Amino acid sequence: MNPMTDLGLRFVRRPGPGGRAANLAAVGATAVVALLVTFLIAGSLGLTHRSDRIGWRSTLNGDSKTAVGALHEVQDMVAGKPVTRFDLAILNDKTNAAPPPGLPRVPKPGEVFLSPKLAELWGSGLSDRYKLPEPTGVISNAGLSSPDDLVAIRGVAPNSAGMTASDHPDYLESWRGTAIDGRMAFLLVMVAFGIALVLFPLLSLVGQAAGVAAKRREHRLAALRLAGATRGQVLLLSAVEQAVLAFFGAIAGLIGYTVLSPLIARIPLGGGRWYLHDLTVRWWVILVVLIAVPVLSVISALIGLGRVSITPLGVVRGQTRKAASALRLGLLVVGPVMLAVLGTGGAVLPLLIGIGLAALAVRVVGPFAVQVIGRFLARTANGPVVLLAGRRLADDPKAAFRPVAALVLSGFVTGFLALFMPFGLAQDGTDAAFSLHTDQGQTVAVAKEVSHRLSEAGFTSEVTTSEESVDIHVSTTDREKVRTILYDLVPDQVPLTDAEKDAHEAGVYLDMRLGVALLLGLVFVTGAASTAAGAVGTALDQSAPARALRRSGIPLSVIERSARLAAVVPVIGVGLPVVGFGALCGLALSGGHILTQGSSGAILLAGQVIVGLILVAVAGAAGAPVLRKASAG
Amino acid sequence: MSFQSPHSTQSTPIQQQAQYAQLTQPAAVLAGRGLVKYYGEVVGLAGVDVAVQSGEALAVMGPSGNGKTTLLHVLAGILTPDQGEVWLAGERVDQLGDAARTVLRRRRLGFVFQDNQLLAELPADENVALPLMVDGISRRDAVGRARTMLAQVGLSAEVGRRPGELSGGQAQRVAIARALVGEPQVVFADEPTGALDATTGAQVIDLLVGAATHRGAAVVVVTHDDAVAARCNRILRIVDGRVSDR
Repeated sequence: MNPMTDLGLRFVRRPGPGGRAANLAAVGATAVVALLVTFLIAGSLGLTHRSDRIGWRSTLNGDSKTAVGALHEVQDMVAGKPVTRFDLAILNDKTNAAPPPGLPRVPKPGEVFLSPKLAELWGSGLSDRYKLPEPTGVISNAGLSSPDDLVAIRGVAPNSAGMTASDHPDYLESWRGTAIDGRMAFLLVMVAFGIALVLFPLLSLVGQAAGVAAKRREHRLAALRLAGATRGQVLLLSAVEQAVLAFFGAIAGLIGYTVLSPLIARIPLGGGRWYLHDLTVRWWVILVVLIAVPVLSVISALIGLGRVSITPLGVVRGQTRKAASALRLGLLVVGPVMLAVLGTGGAVLPLLIGIGLAALAVRVVGPFAVQVIGRFLARTANGPVVLLAGRRLADDPKAAFRPVAALVLSGFVTGFLALFMPFGLAQDGTDAAFSLHTDQGQTVAVAKEVSHRLSEAGFTSEVTTSEESVDIHVSTTDREKVRTILYDLVPDQVPLTDAEKDAHEAGVYLDMRLGVALLLGLVFVTGAASTAAGAVGTALDQSAPARALRRSGIPLSVIERSARLAAVVPVIGVGLPVVGFGALCGLALSGGHILTQGSSGAILLAGQVIVGLILVAVAGAAGAPVLRKASAG
Repeated sequence: MSFQSPHSTQSTPIQQQAQYAQLTQPAAVLAGRGLVKYYGEVVGLAGVDVAVQSGEALAVMGPSGNGKTTLLHVLAGILTPDQGEVWLAGERVDQLGDAARTVLRRRRLGFVFQDNQLLAELPADENVALPLMVDGISRRDAVGRARTMLAQVGLSAEVGRRPGELSGGQAQRVAIARALVGEPQVVFADEPTGALDATTGAQVIDLLVGAATHRGAAVVVVTHDDAVAARCNRILRIVDGRVSDR
């Protein structure tokens, strides 16, 4: 074995004083990266799997002569829950063909197959609605996106209402179609946005994880360089040590993901919880994580150690770092301009690039802003705590910003979404009246039949008509019973109130909210891990002078308070303006319109600021025991 | 040189003070008697008696790992002895709590370490001013006093430089200025010239001893270097945790 490889492995096994804490912090931070990367990959693949199983419903060819079937989607409500009913007519004598996914056979007219969750609601009037004593069968997992799906597939005749050519049903080219489901496509776009937004925080965390162990390594490696080790040997030793730590971190992250996946599967995205097998990682995902995370980690560590390998004395003596340039501010313009220009195009990739550039600008401008704030604090400080924090920020703004970069970027995400996401739509309908749309000329006949059926059932109603719709006011709160009475009166429609129609649309907005919450959760986890790793790294960095200060009678509390202040100042001083920058980017994309309605944006903003600050305070405290121990004696 | 331990340790504080005064004629600013310190099973100090007068420089010498730095830490209140007493200007200090000893070190003692241990991000004047600011002195006054002190150690032109921009000797002068700026009664130095060449080391120890004793402060220097010890008034040799005549 190469002696440097051997030495690197020995350093992992016997890390020396303070090294165990550094190695644990590095492994922990890498584990968080691996967990999040696995979650993002597995989540994206899971959405694709979910979409594939129901993709046949969306695989259309528009040709009635060759289509295997015609499909008509109907919005229904059962026991107050939104249900999707698919009326399916088999075309062109394909009744003996293989059935659609999840069905035991091709449904004949009058047969009804239900998802298991909907089958549980059979007693809520479904027997009367479908005129069957029992459902024909149950749709298996192979035909469902989620175990919570409330779906019915009802066989109908090709010439029934909604299925004729004039009704323009959806013609299916085969049962094996895998066209992407609309809601899943929306979620995948959200995941892509999410990856664009958390990419830099994740990379930042990788660097942070590598940096923690590197802090311990710098002086040791500098000593090796001084002792005659070549640049290549020192880099190899670092790479081996970092690769081993990152590999263990990646394994821990994969184990963490596996342990957490049953909980992740409970997140009701895309209409319900996930089947666990959709989130189970394949062997190649494990391989990618086990290779990519250590490789990224090693690259980060080697970049961080560059100055040791080139100028070992520079590290030993702590030379002054180069100041950040104000030219960085110019980058702030690029993202919003690109979003304003591309916003009207609507293409996803350019938008992702625009958002990515804006996020990059925050990452690049952040250290400059920290430096400005640090200099201000150092200039105006009258006490040791503020002076130490200010000098520390001004001296190495990159190091000060790195741990909180993820949290600051989450401010960008929040600011962006607070104005750009249409959180508050689709919740303003009322339950005052049912409505049915009718063809011209049928309105009066439908209205008459409605009155007749309701009267026979003992309900008092007021039925009004317009040119193509019938509105039904009924003096009852038992809307399900009214719906059952009027079921199939217009065969391809179910009577719904405005609020019930809103409930169907609300799923998409629920996905949005959950998606945003998940995204911010990801960023917060990244930020917390990054802040904690940074705090440990700073504590290790400061241990020698802190020990000297404590021996000289400077209370530990002064050192700890200055460290906490140095962690919080970048979050407040840079994070809050970045919220405004995110909002500016959101406005640039929406053409100056505030799309978010109601108080959702304000709640999101307030929540973000409070959670962010608590997170920094808690995660920043991770350095305290390390500093206390490392500076003792 | 050492002095005899008292026979009884079961006396009242007033009696102890009287005994201390008798035993440390002329009046010692710093005295330790019967100092014992264990590190688990290992004996760090095995009953050391020592006294230092104001304006006196004491060199503590001896082989590595025999208790020199332990003695310095015990006398300075960084460590508490398992047995024995430490007196500073007539006040027993080994029984003080951690917070009180921290204040004591800051206000009445000064420290110089081998590798200066200055804060890399602070310029020289703020490094020196920091202990004063911790004590509540305004920044303007603290930095003013720090610059005066830096001028006295020959660094008036380097007040705005950071440790990374100073030579080893200059950085150690900053450390000396930091140790003296609070007008301490005793300055402790642990191998203060260990990282310096002979010429610079000689300049630094001359400065340390000269500046401290000129102010009436006692100096306790732990060193392996005979040249450093030669610049002190007296040498105390520690071997196996005890005072040795060898």
